[in-house]
Amino acid sequence: MIAGVKGLLTTLRWLGKRPVTAHYPEQHLPVQERYMGFPALLTDDTADEPFCTGCMVCVRECPTQCMTAVMHDNPNVAEGTSHRRKIIETFEINLNRCILCGICVDVCALDAIEMSYEHELASFGRAGARADLDILLTLGRRYMEQSAWTPKNPEKNVAGVALAKKAAADAAKAAAAAEGASKPDAGGTTEAEGEP
Amino acid sequence: MTTEQQHDTIDMMLNMGPQHPATHGVFRMVLTLDGERVLDVTPHIGYLHRGSEKLCESESYGQVVTLFDRMDYIANLNNELAFCRAAERLMSIEVPERAMYIRVILAELNRVASHALFIGTYAIDLGAMTPVMYGFRERERIQNLFEAVTGARMMHNFIRIGGVKEDVPDDFGPRVRQLIGQVREGIEEMDRLLTFNEVYLARTRGVGVIDAATAISVGLTGPSLRGSGVAYDVRKDDPYEIYPYLSYKVPIGENGDCWDRYYVRLQECYESLSMISQCLDQMEAGPTMVQMRRIARPPKGEVYVHSENPRGDIGVYLVSDGTDKPYRLKIRPPSFCNLVGLAPMTRGSYIADAVAILGSLDIVLGEVDR
Amino acid sequence: MDVVWASLWLFTLLNVVAVAALSLVWLERKLLGRMQGRVGPTRVGPFGLLQPIADGIKLLMKEDIAPGSSSRVLFFVAPLLVFVPSYMVWITIPFGRDLFVRNLDLGLFFFVALSVLGIVGLVLAGWSSNSKYAILGGFRSAAQLVSYEIPIIMTILVVAMLAGSLSFRDVVLAQDVVPYAAVQPLAFGVFLLAGLAEVGRTPFDIYHAESEVVGGPFVEYSGAHWAIFFLAEYINTFMVGALGALLFLGGWRWPVGDVPAAAGVALFLFKTYAIVAVIFWVRATYPRMRIDQLMSFGWKVLIPLSFAAFVATAFQMFYGWPIWTLTILSLVILVPPIYIQLRWQRKPAMALAKHYAEIAVAVHAQPRPVPVAAVTEADAAPGREDDA
Repeated sequence: MIAGVKGLLTTLRWLGKRPVTAHYPEQHLPVQERYMGFPALLTDDTADEPFCTGCMVCVRECPTQCMTAVMHDNPNVAEGTSHRRKIIETFEINLNRCILCGICVDVCALDAIEMSYEHELASFGRAGARADLDILLTLGRRYMEQSAWTPKNPEKNVAGVALAKKAAADAAKAAAAAEGASKPDAGGTTEAEGEP
Repeated sequence: MTTEQQHDTIDMMLNMGPQHPATHGVFRMVLTLDGERVLDVTPHIGYLHRGSEKLCESESYGQVVTLFDRMDYIANLNNELAFCRAAERLMSIEVPERAMYIRVILAELNRVASHALFIGTYAIDLGAMTPVMYGFRERERIQNLFEAVTGARMMHNFIRIGGVKEDVPDDFGPRVRQLIGQVREGIEEMDRLLTFNEVYLARTRGVGVIDAATAISVGLTGPSLRGSGVAYDVRKDDPYEIYPYLSYKVPIGENGDCWDRYYVRLQECYESLSMISQCLDQMEAGPTMVQMRRIARPPKGEVYVHSENPRGDIGVYLVSDGTDKPYRLKIRPPSFCNLVGLAPMTRGSYIADAVAILGSLDIVLGEVDR
Repeated sequence: MDVVWASLWLFTLLNVVAVAALSLVWLERKLLGRMQGRVGPTRVGPFGLLQPIADGIKLLMKEDIAPGSSSRVLFFVAPLLVFVPSYMVWITIPFGRDLFVRNLDLGLFFFVALSVLGIVGLVLAGWSSNSKYAILGGFRSAAQLVSYEIPIIMTILVVAMLAGSLSFRDVVLAQDVVPYAAVQPLAFGVFLLAGLAEVGRTPFDIYHAESEVVGGPFVEYSGAHWAIFFLAEYINTFMVGALGALLFLGGWRWPVGDVPAAAGVALFLFKTYAIVAVIFWVRATYPRMRIDQLMSFGWKVLIPLSFAAFVATAFQMFYGWPIWTLTILSLVILVPPIYIQLRWQRKPAMALAKHYAEIAVAVHAQPRPVPVAAVTEADAAPGREDDA
């Protein structure tokens, strides 16, 4: 008797409380900062090309094998705007197969792929879930803006920084060589080779 | 004289088929009935078999964690922990202490979420349609925290071999403390609606009784076993991670009926919440991942490691041949072994009790079928 | 000409009753939603008010299938047998002082007789579906509904005795000072519980419980035929509310006396919806009883209580005691069952919970080792730097 009345009062009390429902699609609950949505490819603005070189590590490590990638020679290297000798040519993720595990992000050493915040990518056909390079770069662009993204390893991956560093290293080497030429008995200076 | 001989009747076979609102997944129970009484029950499983164990043989250790997420899809972090502990034992890795604290906090939060789901779905099996909404509200809160920490609400892929994927965010401590208070209130609300409710007591007291000896011989573990009075909890009897540094109580029942199993799980929720706050007090700064190769290559050997899942004792038997993929990975799922107890519990009860008993075992078909 | 008028009245009544039942569908979903922390229907029409119409359209558009091995004629007659009696009762129920189709002198008796007819339809539905779940549901419903007819009949008899008439109108007119709920709270309580069981509402809805017999006698029905069952259930719920309002709460009359018809109707509907809201509230809170527990409750608790109410009323009328003695007698009669539940179910359960709190095995924390600084590289597991 008593417990039943207590139960009735518990349900009655909820009539006065605000419902916990969020009225989708008018109200979207915000995702948290670390939310792992669908993967997206990021763009290196200093060279106006993707970070991705097509090294295929993520493709190999993906548990569901949802990605395919093809690389080709990077035309920007000859022009001196990029340090990437190879660049991605085609990249496709079958979003139906992606299990949002984030392994591709963990293994990528080039800061090329990130789990975006996209989770509302429903389409009307199965083919709508196949994201090609353009779509992935668009999603990645959106992610970079939404999260104010910064690369984990800019010295290695961001073309502008890497090229500047290489240029500085070359200049220092040239300067040291010039100095070495003017002081023949200075001894072979051993330079600590910078990290590749 | 049996009923058959008295009235020249036959036993009716009722199929609570794979599609049934109360069988907690794709599970088929064939009941042999004499009127309303259940004479025998034959479980048929395998509808959710996805070949997880075979898949593990062709996936590297980092990818296997994602498979474990999806086996018992309600206690994901507990499963990840079970597997990672097995691999770490094989590789003789000492996980840093902060990582252990984070793992235990997440595992206990997952336990609370799992039990909240159990209470809700058990109630709706019995006809009370409100506790499930309250339970899922508490699960939402916990899953929002998981999203903030691991990046995903359910399939986290967060607990890795050697530690955890990354450190927790800065607001973790205050956020979890606030969460503990809110979740405790939510569980108390479900408690008030159910535990001593007259109809609920009538439906669950004395139903599906299994005594301690039969329970042990049948292979029950977890809260289903503790409801029969056996105080076996892997966290207590074979402690791991930082459980030795926590004080808590292991709730046990005595009668071994459905109410006892429910009550044990309810008390475990409260105990888990207090464990989490102890962990927060004790946790200190430090590394969250051991320094090791990214590609795990355990030495040749085999190991069996068991942990306490919300459903019982999960065992992981890992055989490695020295490569980066397991040679054989066998899982002892608690729900699968608990299902053997369904028949002794259900014989002699009514059809409606069959539903109540199956619900009180708290099975997850993903784990039963793998 | 008479036939035309009668048909018009009946058609209007059908519409009124159907709209009322549909409004109940909306009210239930909204109320249940709010109690569970949700919102209920919001999309179809303002505040989801057109949701029942959307449900109806959906059901009518569904394919009407029948199992191959069912007996067709019986299969399609059963819903009618359930719906028609529940609709026919409304002929005699007055919405206001002069708002009824026919004021039968045997109104209460008419109601009882027709509500029993509905049971035949349910059993027929279960039997003709030729499905094990349907059979189980059908038998359960037969047992349950027949058993709970007795308390309903006894409480109606109590009201008839107090009012001195079997006609609905006279019963309402006799409640001009005090409603019968205050005079005989025991009869009111028994009527509500037995009414819940008659309609098949939680906690007595096991015969069509989704989680067990997946719909019971209705399991093989779909589309329009299922809609008829659905409608009949809500009409019955509305009827239990209307009866409670008329027989126990004073209908359109108490406490305001003779008022214009519209106000009276509004008052009557308010009381009806209040009782219906309580029915939905109970649905949100309680689990459902097992069939044998339900039968025990009916035969061992409700029937004796209803008989006790009847006897108490008889004593009061025979000895000419003042009316408030009946209230006291009712409350006194309610004490033993409540005491029995508290002493024999709640107390042991709470003692058991307390006992479990004591026997819970306590695990004590071991002292932690002195917390060392970060694990240094020397202590790390075998392995080199992270290979890229």
